[in-house]
Amino acid sequence: MPIARVFKFAVSAAAAAFLFAAPAPAQENHVFQFALQNGMQVVVVPDHRAPVVTQMLWFRVGGVDDPPGLSGLAHFFEHMMFRGTATVKNDQFAQTVARNGGQSNAFTTHDYTAFYEQIAKDRLSTVMNLEADRMANLDLSDSNVNTERNVVLEERRMRVDNDPQALMREQMDAALDLSHPYGRPVVGWPDEIRHIGRKEAQDFYNHHYAPNNAILIVAGDVTREEVRAAASAAYDKVPARELSPRAEYSQPPRLGETRLSIFRPDVKVPLFMRFYRVVSYTEARPGEAEALETLAQLLGGDPTSTLYRELVVKRRLATNAGASYDGYARDNGTFAVYAIPRPGVRLDQLEHAVDQILAGYAKNPPATADLKRAKTQLVADAMYQRDNQFSLASAYGQALAIGLTTDDVDTWPDRVRAVTPAAVRDAAAKDLIKREAVSGWLQPGTPR
Amino acid sequence: MSARRIFLALVLVVLAPACAQASNVKSVNMGKGVQVWFQEDHTLPIISMTVALPAGSGYDPANKPGLAAFASAMLDEGAGPYSSEAYQSALSERGIRLSAQPDRDWMTVTLVTLKENAKDAFRLLGVALSKPHFDSDAVARVRAQMLASLQQDEEDPSSVAAKGFYTRFFAGHPYGHPIDGNAGSVAAITRDDLRNFAREHWVRGGMHVAVSGDVDTATLKALLASAFRTLPQTAPPAIPPLRRMGAPGTQIIPMPVPQPNIVFALPALPRKDRDFIPLYVANYILGGGGFSSRLTTEVREKRGLTYDVSTSVNTLTRAGFFAGTAATKAGSVQETIKVIRNTINDFAKNGPTQKELDDAKTYLTGSFPLAFTSNVGITGQLNAFQDAGLPISYLDKRDGLINAVTIDDIRRVTNRVFAKGNLTIVVAGSPQAAAKPAIRPLPGADKPTTPPQPVKPVTAQKKPPAAPAPRTVPPAPSTPQKASPKH
Repeated sequence: MPIARVFKFAVSAAAAAFLFAAPAPAQENHVFQFALQNGMQVVVVPDHRAPVVTQMLWFRVGGVDDPPGLSGLAHFFEHMMFRGTATVKNDQFAQTVARNGGQSNAFTTHDYTAFYEQIAKDRLSTVMNLEADRMANLDLSDSNVNTERNVVLEERRMRVDNDPQALMREQMDAALDLSHPYGRPVVGWPDEIRHIGRKEAQDFYNHHYAPNNAILIVAGDVTREEVRAAASAAYDKVPARELSPRAEYSQPPRLGETRLSIFRPDVKVPLFMRFYRVVSYTEARPGEAEALETLAQLLGGDPTSTLYRELVVKRRLATNAGASYDGYARDNGTFAVYAIPRPGVRLDQLEHAVDQILAGYAKNPPATADLKRAKTQLVADAMYQRDNQFSLASAYGQALAIGLTTDDVDTWPDRVRAVTPAAVRDAAAKDLIKREAVSGWLQPGTPR
Repeated sequence: MSARRIFLALVLVVLAPACAQASNVKSVNMGKGVQVWFQEDHTLPIISMTVALPAGSGYDPANKPGLAAFASAMLDEGAGPYSSEAYQSALSERGIRLSAQPDRDWMTVTLVTLKENAKDAFRLLGVALSKPHFDSDAVARVRAQMLASLQQDEEDPSSVAAKGFYTRFFAGHPYGHPIDGNAGSVAAITRDDLRNFAREHWVRGGMHVAVSGDVDTATLKALLASAFRTLPQTAPPAIPPLRRMGAPGTQIIPMPVPQPNIVFALPALPRKDRDFIPLYVANYILGGGGFSSRLTTEVREKRGLTYDVSTSVNTLTRAGFFAGTAATKAGSVQETIKVIRNTINDFAKNGPTQKELDDAKTYLTGSFPLAFTSNVGITGQLNAFQDAGLPISYLDKRDGLINAVTIDDIRRVTNRVFAKGNLTIVVAGSPQAAAKPAIRPLPGADKPTTPPQPVKPVTAQKKPPAAPAPRTVPPAPSTPQKASPKH
């Protein structure tokens, strides 16, 4: 479930004007927050269009919390949460949700792990009771652990090992973060996944899964009062627990660019890609992350962006090119640019052309019309995101899980509108620094 | 947490919730031959529209596979007074989202706009459909993108397996060739081909439209007129009937991947068959129901052989078929296929339990409202019903049809569909300890294309092909979420 997409839906300048001029739609910005006595944070996002609710439970634990030598444990553990408790045995969690007409699933990132159900509104208490049960009473058995380990290895093969571009991203992530666990894949290294056992999973559960480490988001056809009553009834019984403190990582500045040149026989289409280590929303000075977001849109957000217009349309060096900024992280963010060469174009030519475009952005502020168009798109996407209960709930859950607030989500369109041309130029000049980057070439051929 | 309390909660709530969303959908008159279904909702200042035109790859001439997809990829590449760049800027400046996705029967166009830009959005779509340029520059660019995308598909065993499957299962029929064509055909398609295809297929005959969002009926009628008024009333000649489908046996398409992909399929029932709904329910129990399905229990939960095994009943205008996918490490391919076969055979022989049937009904009816929570979701779901040729009254009848299904119905339909068990199986990858290809690849099997699940939008080729998004993409949902519309 690419969460990036949650934030990458975008709107327009006309849209902007509208948002200010018109009274806010009934539900907009009516987000309610409270806490339960056991420390669980609760956010209610009413949306009364259909008699449906989305419950999401976000835990402040993820791949960064994998113990040394056990990469993939947080993600593996997410799977184990579907393997049964003393009373809701085996796969009865998902079965029960389905029998009630609901859908359930989960996802894990470096910073957090989230579980969710979407279901008819009168079943909210049912899914709350189910979540409360597995927060406290998970029943880990050796046989389940052994089977699920194989499932996770198959998941890794599907998402990474079968896909040369995914392997390249994994290697570039590992190279980008000198010492931070962001460099370890969330899904884990295969041989470390094989070392995960029942005991490690149980320890992980004991130290991270507790109401005082969780954020509950309920979006949909509910009121604050209904959620308060239902959440109290279901979750108050789960006692707070002492948590393992999360390690606070810091990294040295990178002193030089890293380059990766990967040759593989399974590659058919070459690729140039570069990741920059940049500030995230949690680290940035006011406006800095928004400027990076705007820069990514200008550079490579759609077919009107500079990389596409220059490399694909005008110079015919690439069949595709783009850029993206991922700033929703507890620690550093990442800025990516990529281009796929047309047949006959060398990757060094293509990289040089990308660098020229980046240098232009570092030197000159963007044209007013271009900046306006980019902001319009970002703001429109924020509105389109509100169309979807799941993506809206995810936006709030993700923000709170990494240390932002619901206000940060609600004010994001205004902050994007406030980005100046100079701020975009500064972001290109000061944040996109080659020594803070990994540049990768993926090519067909024999590994050398 | 009291265990007993939870247990009670589970027992008490087996009845499916009632849903009332259907009553809000109404029909809007836009002249003969065009169905428009509309759900008005003023919660957000957004309008979503999904339009299906009779312009899928089933209409590709035999020597020009990929023509429909090529044409659909040109939808935002210049029309009327707009150059390609001007057209894309016009959308972008207003935050309008326009995409065109070809499948085998239809080209499905999705338009999402803010209410304040609705006039421009609908007008721009109208220009694109009725006055496309197919400028040679843009044609060359999109051709290069399609060729690169075809090459990249060859890296991906799920794509290779799906293309191989369609080629084999629908051999000799236009449904068999890849939606995106192949390198040779895409290279040969001309501007005239594209122009003629659009003239014949981007038409009102057979078109259907679903709209949801912040607009009233009168305004919507004017918007629809601006988008579609200038399209011809004609309808294209029908896709040829299908004489046979299915090619029992196993075909292996060798590839150097750690995890081969498996597609397995059987001929099934057309959407209009009176046993279709029992088949839909049967499929949920067998392999459509995510964690709840028999195949997931046997292949994933008990044996850890795969991350995802799932099946669907697919309805094309000219064909109904049952298809499933699974992926497993090279050494487990044969075991996985065996478990899949046994599970299907057991289901065909013994049918479901009453509990399985009851649970399937409460899921399939209870989850129906989930498809009606967003404007974009609503138009997608309504359009899927329209694709299947269902009347608007189906929205109110659907749950009753599902609730009426009996064990006898399921047994009858499993006899019709699963009992013979002549699976067509295609494996992309190189299973260890497996013999050489059991069956000689059919002509064209080395030029594969499209998964049984909805196909990636061709317009998306302009976006990150595999978005480089590094760590934000959580590598994790416990099982991939299926967004396929409900029957």
